[in-house]
Amino acid sequence: MTARRSLNLKVAISVLAAFVVSMAFSWFLHNHLSRNDAHKLIDRTFESVEDEVGDCVNERLVRQCMAVRERLEDGHATDVRALQDLARELRVTEISIADAKGDIVASSVPEYLAGEGRQAFSFVTAGGQAEDMMCLVHGPDTEFCQPLRSNTANGVERKFVGVWRPEGGFVEIGCDKESLRSLARSSIVDLFRNWRVGGTGGIVVTTPTGLVLSDYDEPSREGTQWQDPDWSFYWQKREIEGFMTYVMIPKISAAVQRDVLVVATAALNGAALVFVALLVGFVISAFVRRQMREQAAKELAMAKDIQLSALPSVFPPFPDDTRFDIMASMEAAREVGGDFYDFYFTAQDRVLVLVADVSGKGVPAAMFMMRAKTLIKSAAQTGKPLAQVFNEANEALCEGNTSSTFVTVWAGELNLHTGHLTFVNAGHNPPVVRSGNRCEYLKTRPSPALGAMEGVEYRVDDITLAPGDALYLYTDGIVEQPAPSGELYGEERLLGLLSRNVRQRGEILKTVLSDVRRHAAGAEQADDCTQLVLRYRGEPDVVAHEYAPTLEDVAKAVDELTAALETVPVKERARLLVAADEIFANIVRYSGATRWSLSVELDHHPDGVRLVITDDGKPFDPLAQRDPDTTLAAEDRAVGGLGIFIVKKTMSPVTYKRRSGLNILKMGKDYGD
Amino acid sequence: METKTISEGDKLIIAVSGRVDTVTAPELEANLKFGDAKLVVLDLKEVPYMSSAGLRLLLTSHKAMAAKGGRFEIANVQSAVREVLEITGFSDIFNIV
Repeated sequence: MTARRSLNLKVAISVLAAFVVSMAFSWFLHNHLSRNDAHKLIDRTFESVEDEVGDCVNERLVRQCMAVRERLEDGHATDVRALQDLARELRVTEISIADAKGDIVASSVPEYLAGEGRQAFSFVTAGGQAEDMMCLVHGPDTEFCQPLRSNTANGVERKFVGVWRPEGGFVEIGCDKESLRSLARSSIVDLFRNWRVGGTGGIVVTTPTGLVLSDYDEPSREGTQWQDPDWSFYWQKREIEGFMTYVMIPKISAAVQRDVLVVATAALNGAALVFVALLVGFVISAFVRRQMREQAAKELAMAKDIQLSALPSVFPPFPDDTRFDIMASMEAAREVGGDFYDFYFTAQDRVLVLVADVSGKGVPAAMFMMRAKTLIKSAAQTGKPLAQVFNEANEALCEGNTSSTFVTVWAGELNLHTGHLTFVNAGHNPPVVRSGNRCEYLKTRPSPALGAMEGVEYRVDDITLAPGDALYLYTDGIVEQPAPSGELYGEERLLGLLSRNVRQRGEILKTVLSDVRRHAAGAEQADDCTQLVLRYRGEPDVVAHEYAPTLEDVAKAVDELTAALETVPVKERARLLVAADEIFANIVRYSGATRWSLSVELDHHPDGVRLVITDDGKPFDPLAQRDPDTTLAAEDRAVGGLGIFIVKKTMSPVTYKRRSGLNILKMGKDYGD
Repeated sequence: METKTISEGDKLIIAVSGRVDTVTAPELEANLKFGDAKLVVLDLKEVPYMSSAGLRLLLTSHKAMAAKGGRFEIANVQSAVREVLEITGFSDIFNIV
């Protein structure tokens, strides 16, 4: 979990860092872009401003030129002096009059006139820009403006404007900067007052000396001395027609756009990053979850292994001892619950059986189960009385039991000789005793569960089982299995099922389990289901005889066996006699034995027969022989091996042992209940 | 262990009574004489059980009759004997009447 949290923190930090970096990058990028955009806008604005100023100046000068023409038409003298006076009066720098051929016929500038070896200035022969003025002669223009520029001849700056004369030719005025400014100034004032550039920017026009003529801002700075804009503007200045023109955009106006873009980009980047982070986080957490699930599954499997490997699993567990049967089973729930059963001899004639249920689940429950099981077994096998076994186990389990885990146990110790059963119930479900066809719960006052409370003196009760009686132990996984309706399986249903199936032996465990499953109706098994049946059969009647390896003695043995099996039903008797004959024949014919013996054990409650046949011949394990092929045609059949095959098919159980130079074959048949 | 033989033309009926096992089989074998009979019926009505020693006699008898073109049948098989015949697959070989 810690690793996972620090991983999340790392992811969060790197996301934040990436966010900041992307924001900064985006800010620089957009800053650059917005400055570029601002200057492009300024450049474009200047084009319009140049046009506007040019138009304004041209219009003014054309008007002035027309005023000159008017005066001339009114009969103003055209000698140099008169024209110089007129120029001064009308604030233009020079005045010239050209005839229809393009030659200057009158001028305020004497140098343009013919005289003293000089031709008059000809607009046609002067070529270049001067020749452009000839459009006034050829049409269709009636007025013409040249831009302000240096005269190629003397370097003096002039702007020339001409208007045609109805009598032919044209009047031209030339203005230097000074005259141009003084004429156009009033037209420029307020020219750009209402122009806006880039939102809140604008255009300012000043005289070359910095007197503000047109201002966009409020309060207007017109008439004041101009100062260049500070750092908070993008701006440029250009000289247009002798006026200083400023186009300026407050950075903040451009920046609003930039900042909106930055924020939008950053937000987009952020969203993408958050998405990527979420995706990465999801992938990582899915991976971690899978790891954890696998780990949990591994632990679960381990707990199950611990639990199952601790349980004795070979049945019948003591095939040589006909005085009792034990069948047990545990169906582990998906989540291991820590159920267990156990059985073992505590003395030659005493066998202990128990079922137990550890509180809690998983590995801790499985570990506790191992401790409890070992503690009880090691104490019980020293021959201590059952109460003491429980007292000691309880003390040991209470010690340092911080998790408050406990285990409910029902344990009974059966004297195989007498059927006397002493038992302790440590907080467990009461078992069922079957006596004849009657089943009932063996209810006694239970003691506390092991590990629950220190200093408990465990209470021992006892009953005596008659041969044929049986004891059914179980854990609460059986009685507490709920149906989909929530109704538990319950003690009553269990007792009813056992009562209806009193004739079943080991199969009863499967019968109960399938009934519990039917009750669950598809629901998951709620808890471990553990069951154990102990059937007390009592001591057998034993008849034993020794024989020589002769046919005569086989006949004798068959007669004695027939007599011993007098109480056995005809069908079972025939099977036993056939099986016995097969074994006798083998001993007499093939074993090389010098003597052999037969002992007959007759069991009661339930009824059964065990034949123990021993011989001192060569080792021969009939169970290890290959079965003959019973599908062959008559011609291919042999009789060899058929006898052993018949024994294996009709007797159950059959066991073989070689001990002290003797073949010991034990076979039998249970036929009663 | 007793046998009673009834001859009806080509048909021979041998009625056995008593168990057939290792001890009694040699005695029964001695009594299984078929002569020129084309059909031999072994009546097992009075045989309570039979071990593999008896099966061997049934098999040799069946083979002997088959060799001379005759037939060998068993009749009135009791349940214990029938079980042994079934376990060993002999019930598929013999004509059980």
